[in-house]
Amino acid sequence: MSQGRRILVTGVSRFWGAELARRLEADPDVEQIVAIDSEGPGRPLARTDYVRADIRHSLVGKLVRGLGIDTVVHAGLIVDPQQAGARTVHETNVIGTMNLLAACSGPDSPVRRVVVKSSTAVYGSEPDDPSFWTEEMSRRSPARNGFTRDLDEVESYVREFDDRHPGIAVTTLRFGNVLGEVHDSPFARLFDLPAIPTVFGFDPRVQFLDEVDAVAALHHAARGQYQGTYNVAGPGVVVLSQAIALLGKINAPVIPFVGGAVAMRMLDRLGLVDFPAEFVRLLQYGRVVDTSRLHKELGFVPTRSTIETVLEYGRRRRVRGLVDDATPYRYEHELEDFLRSRGRRQPDHDRAAADPSAARSAPRRRRRATPRVTVPAAPASGVRRRGAARGPERDRGPHP
Amino acid sequence: MPRPSLPSRPSRPSLSTLAALRRDLPATAMEATGMLALKLRALTGRDLIDLESLQEVMSVYYRLAALREQHRTGEFDIDDFGFDAAFTEALLPIFRVVARRYWRVELSGVEHLPRSGGGLLVSNHAGVLPWDGAMIKVAVFDAVERHARALIANWFGDLPVTSWFLRRTGQTLGHQDDTLRLLRAGELVLVFPEGIRGTGKPWSERYRLRRFGRGGFVEVAMRAGVPIIPVSVVGSEETYPMLADIRGLAQLLGMPYFPITPTWPLLGPLGLLPLPSKWLITFHAPVNVTEPVELTTQVGGQRHPAHDGDGADQLIEPGRVMELADTIRTTIQAGIVEDLMRRARVFRG
Repeated sequence: MSQGRRILVTGVSRFWGAELARRLEADPDVEQIVAIDSEGPGRPLARTDYVRADIRHSLVGKLVRGLGIDTVVHAGLIVDPQQAGARTVHETNVIGTMNLLAACSGPDSPVRRVVVKSSTAVYGSEPDDPSFWTEEMSRRSPARNGFTRDLDEVESYVREFDDRHPGIAVTTLRFGNVLGEVHDSPFARLFDLPAIPTVFGFDPRVQFLDEVDAVAALHHAARGQYQGTYNVAGPGVVVLSQAIALLGKINAPVIPFVGGAVAMRMLDRLGLVDFPAEFVRLLQYGRVVDTSRLHKELGFVPTRSTIETVLEYGRRRRVRGLVDDATPYRYEHELEDFLRSRGRRQPDHDRAAADPSAARSAPRRRRRATPRVTVPAAPASGVRRRGAARGPERDRGPHP
Repeated sequence: MPRPSLPSRPSRPSLSTLAALRRDLPATAMEATGMLALKLRALTGRDLIDLESLQEVMSVYYRLAALREQHRTGEFDIDDFGFDAAFTEALLPIFRVVARRYWRVELSGVEHLPRSGGGLLVSNHAGVLPWDGAMIKVAVFDAVERHARALIANWFGDLPVTSWFLRRTGQTLGHQDDTLRLLRAGELVLVFPEGIRGTGKPWSERYRLRRFGRGGFVEVAMRAGVPIIPVSVVGSEETYPMLADIRGLAQLLGMPYFPITPTWPLLGPLGLLPLPSKWLITFHAPVNVTEPVELTTQVGGQRHPAHDGDGADQLIEPGRVMELADTIRTTIQAGIVEDLMRRARVFRG
């Protein structure tokens, strides 16, 4: 047990963090999983210790040291700007990453690995783009929106952190379009429309990655000791018209090729569609990344190709709503609770900060099996936690 | 193109009748045209309708109809660059007819085209619209049954329909990494180093080659370890004699140039019709760029290791790159001069 990995996962209220935590739970090499987010986990989790805290909070650093975290997986970057307000996206992505990396810095940091989930959106989408983006290429035109600018900034922080900490393996994974049953993304929303609006006169090449493969890639990176940036996308490409045909949908080339972004913004305002304005550029010019580095250096090959991902998505869509995936877990969680109350797992004193037993008496929402420790986001006052021997909050001064 | 149109719903015949009509109509039309062609030959003693071309055009109709079903269900193959070989081959007969009947393209040196493995075709570029690319592609396909993948100007990336069509038929934008990727995959790549400087030449400067870029095409061939096949095209310059270029209007429309030809924009869309000049395309002997030949002229050449090449220890000398680029340019220019002398008349023959 003592050799087991101690992994901190951010962004557990959303798809990425929650699914990764679930996957890590099944990994016997992982001793402890600490999930941190300002909102509760998006999926029921079993042995993950959930800390309700904002990653912008300085508590993170103390948590990392207090728990002896060796691996930090930053899965909390919001890459679909529709998921939250512009301000939240900026705060979470830029300030959150800055703070998280600061928490991992310093000579006393136990962190040996940092995995950052970024997006291929950093490459942008322009008419004169290369057919394949490799990791060392960068966009030639300035960022078209605040979201992409933020991503650039985040990646530059990560690079800087990497340069300053030769002892820490920093892995950046740039994910392409992830498609699947659970994950909410612009493409998933697009493909759910009865007729799919496309840009007139354009049929872009795109790639898709199955959501299971996406989480597996994060897991794979967290397990190994890899350095550098990797594009992650499903093998092969598909043209948008082909994807639409494979899904059995109607291709409606109604978006004008000039001013498409403006049209999209208007439709978005009217509540007709739910896409970020810059998504139109992807529908017009597409984006394809080279994943040979992922295959060769990271040794990770997605199980589903781009086309298989689209076909699988089509199959899953047809039965969506018929199968309730929440039901089986409810029973499991009660069993889990019972087992825990029998004291099967006795937490030691050092890990008390996220002691599962501490949360047992705490009020809990029905479907959340995860123990919670509540820390208000800001300012740092009135932190109520119990049983913390080396409590991180003890030596904290007033927060600026 | 005589695409047979369906009868405009005569009192709703049963579906099977309609389907049968639809199936048989092209064949019937072709039969009728064939008979007409024979009658005309008997009357005038000349082939006024070329049956072979007719057959080619009809085949386009049938092949596209077959493809339409595949495109409806999404069961078709494109490569990672967005190239659809089946679609391209279905459309090819149209360009073949244009090459044979309209421009009477005369080929020489097709034996220099490699039957397998990568190769870089380097050609001169002229004629406002890049018809020369299409003609070279047809010639290459008919000679060795391979698709030459042409590199196109970045400007095309933003054109609706055109950008889609060019990519689907095997073209890609001229990025060095992409070119390298194609060549390493064993493809034939067609490049016009003059770029839009070549197609935007005024009439007075016809057949005078412009600067061959920065020799990037030589470098990429060296890194991929493939031969360069120089190609000279004669006839493309006369398709649209460019009398003037209205810079201001071009800038306003975001075009690389706005040409004034004898027919454009005077005759409107009719002005887009290229003139029927006589074409000669010559493929020259392949130039092997992997082996250093003349080591004497490498003065002051900085050494850059070709780091990611398969021939990893090969060095790329800027001096040698420029020298080879010059050699190839000279070969093409000489080929043009020779073919121009061979061509007796511009529009006849």
